[in-house]
Amino acid sequence: MSRLIPGVPTTPPLALTARQRLAAYWGVGVMQCRTQLLYRGDLLFRLFGVLLQVYLLSLVWEAAYPASGTAAGHNGHRIALSTQIAYVTFAVVQNWLLNSGGMNFIPHRVREGSVAVDLIRPMRFPTQMLWVHAGATAAQTPFALVALPFAVLAGGAQAPASAVAGVCYAVSLALAVVIALLINTLVSMVAFWTTESTGIFVMYRFVQQFLSGSLVPLWFMPNWLRVLAEWMPFQTTTYAPLAVYLGQARAAPVIGLQMVWCVALFGVLRAVWARALNRVVVQGG
Amino acid sequence: MPIIEVEGLVKEFRRPKRFGGPFGGLRTLLTRQYVRTLAVDGISFTVDEGEFVGYLGPNGAGKSTTIKILTGILKPTAGRVEVARVVPYQERERNALNVGVVFGQRTQLWWDLPLRDSLELIGRLYGVERARHLANIKRFTEMLALGPFIDTPVRQLSLGQRMRGDLAAAMLPEPRILYLDEPTVGLDVVAKERIRECIAQLNRENGATVVLTTHDLDDVERLCRRIVLIDGGKVLYDGSVEKLKAQYAPHRRLVVQLAEGARWHGVEMAGVTEDILGPGMVAVRFDPNLVGSADVVAAVLARHAVRDLSIVEPELEDVVRRIYAAREASF
Repeated sequence: MSRLIPGVPTTPPLALTARQRLAAYWGVGVMQCRTQLLYRGDLLFRLFGVLLQVYLLSLVWEAAYPASGTAAGHNGHRIALSTQIAYVTFAVVQNWLLNSGGMNFIPHRVREGSVAVDLIRPMRFPTQMLWVHAGATAAQTPFALVALPFAVLAGGAQAPASAVAGVCYAVSLALAVVIALLINTLVSMVAFWTTESTGIFVMYRFVQQFLSGSLVPLWFMPNWLRVLAEWMPFQTTTYAPLAVYLGQARAAPVIGLQMVWCVALFGVLRAVWARALNRVVVQGG
Repeated sequence: MPIIEVEGLVKEFRRPKRFGGPFGGLRTLLTRQYVRTLAVDGISFTVDEGEFVGYLGPNGAGKSTTIKILTGILKPTAGRVEVARVVPYQERERNALNVGVVFGQRTQLWWDLPLRDSLELIGRLYGVERARHLANIKRFTEMLALGPFIDTPVRQLSLGQRMRGDLAAAMLPEPRILYLDEPTVGLDVVAKERIRECIAQLNRENGATVVLTTHDLDDVERLCRRIVLIDGGKVLYDGSVEKLKAQYAPHRRLVVQLAEGARWHGVEMAGVTEDILGPGMVAVRFDPNLVGSADVVAAVLARHAVRDLSIVEPELEDVVRRIYAAREASF
């Protein structure tokens, strides 16, 4: 076996080290992020929609709220109008950042057959796709940060309930990012079973948006719906971190639950991939 | 010591039977009836380290399916496959470290970003040490003349430029084995020639084992010492290009152009046949194993006034066409 640089013997590595793997996945994420930033015009348009949504939702809550300025949430909590509007503002922006990104990466690859290219890499496919989604989310982050003050103008804001709540929110948000990436990747895997996935994604988006609490917080949901939402992973991406921030939920159980979801969803993703791999029929060529 | 071993490989694709008529779509969705197609039907071959093999067949012969099994993308229905002592579908990622692939019909480059960025990332994906990788990029930039467009986004490259970029991407991690799946498809004559030159040079200088899939026979004649010819998922021929020609098209043709006003009288030799091609043009067909070319030429010249003579070697394309035609006729 001759090698490119004479005199330097190499034995092909049996496997990449954990560090090399991380560098590889990171690289894939960075490329996706940079690709996404090329389409910033589209991002700006969508941000305008976000601001509009914040504005309209705060109008609705102001109109719907009782004159006393507080309303009863579940288990007797009183929710002030200002808290509610702060919630709506943050929830819409946060949900846009975490959950509005492309669902189309895997379906596109399956349809075009370029999934073959992902599969010739010495990397795990689901992890690779997680990082692709992460890259897309990273590209949206600066836009979300820029939009936030405008969203606060259109809606409203509130400081964290306490310094501890602020710190816990940061931790919870980080976990929310991971959960959102896992869910997005998992749902887009449906593309391996059906070539037409657009309809499924529209339905998923609606369910996700509602059950995550980004339209209506869980504290205003009827009991059965709230219980249903609490048992689903979606609320841990939007409602749960914000409830911690606003002092409406205790941090420890929220963060604990998020960790459980991280592990569980990762397990499901691996299992789904094992089945999807058996279905890989690369289109064309 | 073979680096690729394939034995009794079978790949069956199964998809739900499609129904027409009212509610056809629904019935298709719910059916348990399947249509089975055998894309690969008992293929065996081995490839030694450093060999350059042409894997040849018409559209739908099972070429790409075999490559996808060799890269671990597809799991075979039956049979044994080992690449550098790794079973690709069992350890896809480990296999990937030994293997470079070029798919002519799709790119492994990042479409919207400059070519250079893709090439640099490749090093990270395969855990190549950075200094070594940069040296390799420099080398391939020169060899494949990527310089003028290395900072251009991939989507703006011409097909030929993109293919050179893809070749570089496949070779950069210094794979022991290189699969080229129709690397010249869709290219114009000049670009094809350029790609072929590069591939020949890569094999010569790096000693990588190359398996070239194509239905372009010029690729094969230019590059391969050995070919594996398949059709209908089966191996029809495995051996050298010369032997194939000798076996399936043993005849050579001597094309004679007679001098002005001369008439054709024929040559009376055993094993020689004649075709009148036109006024003053005759093709003499003979088997060089039975009759020496010099004897045929002498016999023609002895009886005719001749303006021009040329001996035509059989073209691989004719040979292959004949094999496929014979196969179809046998069905």
